[in-house]
Amino acid sequence: MNPGRAWARLWALLRKQRFERELDDDIRAHLELAEEDAVARGLSREAARLEARRRFGAIEQMKEEHRDRRGIRWLDMLIRDFRYGLASLRRTPGFTLIVVAVLALGMGGTVGMFSVVDAVLVKPLPFPEPDRIVSVWEAPRPGVVNATTVPQFLAWKGSETVFDALAAEQPASAALNEKSGPIRLSGKLVTSEYFKVFGAAAALGRTFARQEDQPGAAPVIILSHSAWQTYFAADPGILERRVMLDGQTYQVIGVLQPGAFDRDRTQFWKPLAFTQQELSSAIHWLRVYGRLRAGQTLVQARQRMQAIYAALLATAPAGEDRDGSIVVEPISRLLVGPNLQRSIAVAFGAVFLVLLISCANIANLLFARGAARRTELAVRAALGAGRARLVAQLLTECFALCVLGGAAGVAVAYLLIRFATPLLWQSLPFTADVTMNLHVLGFAAAVVLGVALLTGALPAFQSSFGDLADSLKQSARGSSSTHIRVRRTIVMGEVALSLVLVSAALLLARSLLKLQRLDTGVRIENVVTMSINLPREAYPTPQKAAFFYNALTEQLRSIPGIAKAGMSTFLPLQWIINGEGIFVPGVERQVLVRLKRVDRGYFNTLDIPVLTGRDIADRDREGAPRVIVINQSLAKRLADVAGIKNPVGKVVRLTSGDYLGQLPQISEVQVIGVIRSERTASPGLPDPPVVYAPLAQFPNPNVKLLVRSAQDIPVVPSIRKVLHEIDPNLPLADVATMQQIQDETLSGVSRPAWLIGAFASVAVLLSAVGLYGVISYSMTQRRRELGVRIALGARPGDVLALVLRNALAMVAIGLMGGLIGVYALTRVLTNMLFEVSPLDPLALGVACFSMTAIGLFAGFLPAQRAARFNPMVSLRDAG
Amino acid sequence: MSKQDMSKREQSAEIPYGTLDLLILKTLQSLGPLHGYAIARRIEQVADNTLHLSQGAIYPALIRLQQEGWISTQWGISETNRKVKFYSLTKAGRKQLLVELAKWEKATAFVARFLEESI
Repeated sequence: MNPGRAWARLWALLRKQRFERELDDDIRAHLELAEEDAVARGLSREAARLEARRRFGAIEQMKEEHRDRRGIRWLDMLIRDFRYGLASLRRTPGFTLIVVAVLALGMGGTVGMFSVVDAVLVKPLPFPEPDRIVSVWEAPRPGVVNATTVPQFLAWKGSETVFDALAAEQPASAALNEKSGPIRLSGKLVTSEYFKVFGAAAALGRTFARQEDQPGAAPVIILSHSAWQTYFAADPGILERRVMLDGQTYQVIGVLQPGAFDRDRTQFWKPLAFTQQELSSAIHWLRVYGRLRAGQTLVQARQRMQAIYAALLATAPAGEDRDGSIVVEPISRLLVGPNLQRSIAVAFGAVFLVLLISCANIANLLFARGAARRTELAVRAALGAGRARLVAQLLTECFALCVLGGAAGVAVAYLLIRFATPLLWQSLPFTADVTMNLHVLGFAAAVVLGVALLTGALPAFQSSFGDLADSLKQSARGSSSTHIRVRRTIVMGEVALSLVLVSAALLLARSLLKLQRLDTGVRIENVVTMSINLPREAYPTPQKAAFFYNALTEQLRSIPGIAKAGMSTFLPLQWIINGEGIFVPGVERQVLVRLKRVDRGYFNTLDIPVLTGRDIADRDREGAPRVIVINQSLAKRLADVAGIKNPVGKVVRLTSGDYLGQLPQISEVQVIGVIRSERTASPGLPDPPVVYAPLAQFPNPNVKLLVRSAQDIPVVPSIRKVLHEIDPNLPLADVATMQQIQDETLSGVSRPAWLIGAFASVAVLLSAVGLYGVISYSMTQRRRELGVRIALGARPGDVLALVLRNALAMVAIGLMGGLIGVYALTRVLTNMLFEVSPLDPLALGVACFSMTAIGLFAGFLPAQRAARFNPMVSLRDAG
Repeated sequence: MSKQDMSKREQSAEIPYGTLDLLILKTLQSLGPLHGYAIARRIEQVADNTLHLSQGAIYPALIRLQQEGWISTQWGISETNRKVKFYSLTKAGRKQLLVELAKWEKATAFVARFLEESI
C-alpha cells in the first residue's frame, strides 16, 4: 500500500459517516437511473424497480466490500471494539466508577510525581544553553568556606579565554516604604555581567551595563517580574519612576521577564561595586557564576582556573594558607544535590508501588467481571467469534477503561500540581518549573498503555482461554479453580506491597517522633522571632547600630506581655553560616568554630543554662575587654586539642568579620562562660563548636529578634509600633514562631514521612478493597459448599471462622512477601532514618498487625454474609 | 424471473478476476466523465450479455481506483435531475491504464500461446 493510499484509507476511516452517506447517494441515484431506463424499455414502474434491484446485486454485501476496500480493517475493528467497550462500561456504571477511581488515585500520584521528576531532573534548565552555565568555587578546606574573595574574583574575570561572562553575587535585603509601613525585600548584589551569565533578558528596559558596577555609578536596580507585579502594580511606567529602598533613591532600569527568577526569592538586583577595602580583602564572601565560552570543556576551564587561582595564592603573605583548589561545576549539579535526588527517587518509588497496587486491584476486578461474562463470551464464541477476536475485544475494553482512568488520573495530577507543589517549592531548586506539559502527558499515555496491558492481558487470556463451551454448560456455577488462584495471588501481592509502604511510613514516623522528642537545648514555647536588617546607608557605623539596639531593647522592656527578649545573628535550630577560627596559645592550627553574635538577653530568653562561668552582661560593651561564651561542644574540643580542662578565664584569639563584613579581624578575647549546647539545624548531627560573642563588642547590622511573651498574647503589633517609633523606615521581616522554625528544620524528615504516609494509606485502602473483593467472590463461588455445610449442621460461627481463616492465610503469605521487600529496601531506608533500624521490630510489628487487622475486617463482611446463607436457597441456586 | 432470463444467465460468465478495474479505466478513457450507472451500463452493453455483472460491484472498485488516485470525482446532475458523482480519469489514471493494458496483453498472449502449444 503506498503512503498516499494509506492516508486515504485512514481518512476514510475517520470520515466514515460521510463516506457511508455518499455511497448511499450513489446507490440511490444508480437505482433510480436503472429504473428510468427499464421504464423507458416498456416495463411497469413496479417491474422496473425490481429489475433495477436485481441487476444491481446484493446491496449490503457490496457495502461491506466497499468498507473493506476503503478502510483499514483492524483499526476499524479497534474503534468498533472501543465503542463497544465504552457501551458495556456504561451498562455497569458501578464497576466503571470503582475502576476509574482506583486508577485515578494510582495514576494521579504517579503522574504528579513524574511532573516533579520532569521539572527537576529531565527538563533542561530554563536558561539559554544551560550547559555552559557553571558555578566556580573554591573547594572547601579547613577555615575557608567555598565562597571566594574579591581579588580572586577579579583575577578570574581577567581571564578572557574561559568565560563569555563571569559574575559574582551576594545576598542583600532592603526596606521598601509602602503606605502600610516599610516592608523588606530580599535581593542580590551582583556584578554587571550577571544576567549575561544566565542569559536572562529584561521584559521592560534593560539589564545592567558594563560600567554600572563601578564605584560612583548612578544608583540603579532591576526588579523581578513578580516583584514588579506585587509591589508596583505592574506599572508600565516603572522605568520613569524613582524607587526608595532603605531611604535611598534608585532608578529602575529594568524588569525581568517572568520565569525561573520569580520562583527564586530574589525580588531585586543591585550592582555590586567593590569598595577600596574590599578590593584587597581576604574575606571569602562571593559566589561566582560563569558562562563558558563556546567550545570550552569543563576540564579545560578547571585547569585554566586552577592556574590563575594558584598564581594568585602564591603571592599571599607567608603564614596564610596557600593551597586549595578550584571547582568548576555545571550549575545543574549544584541545584540538584544528591539528597534531593534521593528524596525524589524514594517518593517516586513509593508512588509507583501505589500504582502497582491499583493495577493489581483492577486486574482483580477485571477477573471478576470476566468470570461474570463467561456466558456472554461463550455465546459469542459459539456464534463464530475467533479466540483472537475475543482477546482483542477484551483488551480493547480494558484499554477503554484505562483511558478513562488515565484521564481522571491526569485531572488528579493537575490538581496535585496546582495545589500540592507550592508546598514543595522550598525543597525544589528555583529553576524547577513543575507543570503539566507534553513530557508529562506522554508519560501518562505510556502509563495508561502499560496499565492496560498489565491489568488486561491476564484476565483477557484467562477469560477466553478456559473451555468456553464448558462454561456454557456450567455457566451459573462459574469458573475454574485456577481463576480464583490467580486472584488470590494478586491480592497477596497487594498485601505485600502495602506492607512495604506501611512499614516505611511507620519507620519514618518513628524516626520523626524521636527527632521531635530530642532535646533541642532551647525552650521555644511562646517565642516569636523577627529579623531586622539595618541598611548600610542609614547605619554606616557600629556605633549607630549599637545605639539602635540599645534603644530597641529598652523599648521592648516597656511592652506589657513581653517576658524576655534577646537578639542574635542566627536563629536557634538553624545552621550558623558564619564560620571562623580561634587560635589557642600553644596550639599551631586554628580551632574551627561557628560564630554567633548575641546580646545579653539571648541565653535567658531561650532558657539556655550557663554551666560554668557567667552570662554575657551589660558591662561587656564596646570598649570593655572583649569576651566570649562558648558551648559545651567547643569546651570539649578545647580539652581534646589543647588540654584545657576549664576554659573559663582563658584568653584566645578569634577571627571575625568587621561590622559590615568587609574586613577580617583578629581580636583577643577572654572566655567567660560555657553554656549547654543548643541545637543548630540538622537534628541528629553532632553539635558544632560555637563561639558566642557579645553583639555590643562584635556589632553586625543584621539580627534576629527573639521575644518570649508571658502568655500566648500577640506581641508583634506592639513590637512593630515600637520599631516604628525608633526608625520608621525599618521593616520587621520574617515574623515566625520558634515552633514554625523547628517544624521547618524538621521538614527534611517530616515531609517524606507525611508523603510516604499518605501513599501508604492509599495503598492500605486499595488492598483492603482487593481483599474484600476476592473474599466475597470466593464466597459466591463456594455457596454450594457452604450451603451443604450449613445444611449438615455447621453453625454460623464455624462458617465465619472458615472464611476468616481463608482471609488470614492470604494476608499471612502477603505479609511474608512484604517483609522480604522491606528487607530488600534496607539500604535505601537506612539513610532516611534517625536512630531507628530499618528492621525496627516495633514498626514492622505494628505494620504487620495493622495489615492483619485490615485483612480480617475486609474478610468479616463477606464472612458474615456467608454465615447467614440460607442453605435451601444457596443449594437450589448453585445447583 | 422469466425463462428467457434464466437461459441468458446460464450463458453469461462472471467477469474475469481483476479485470473490472481495467474495464472501468478504459470506459472512462473512451467516454470521458460518467456516473456510476453509466459506467455499469457501458460495460454491460459492450459485453452484450456475454458477461454477468452485478452493477453494484463497480462501486467498491471505484472507491479503490479513487484512493489510488487514478480517477477523480466531481458532482454533476444526472438525466433524472439528481445530484450524482461523475467519475473521470486522472493523469495518473491514464498512465495506469497503459500499464494495465500492457499487463492484460501479456497475460492473454501467454494464455493463448499456452493453449495453442498444449493442443
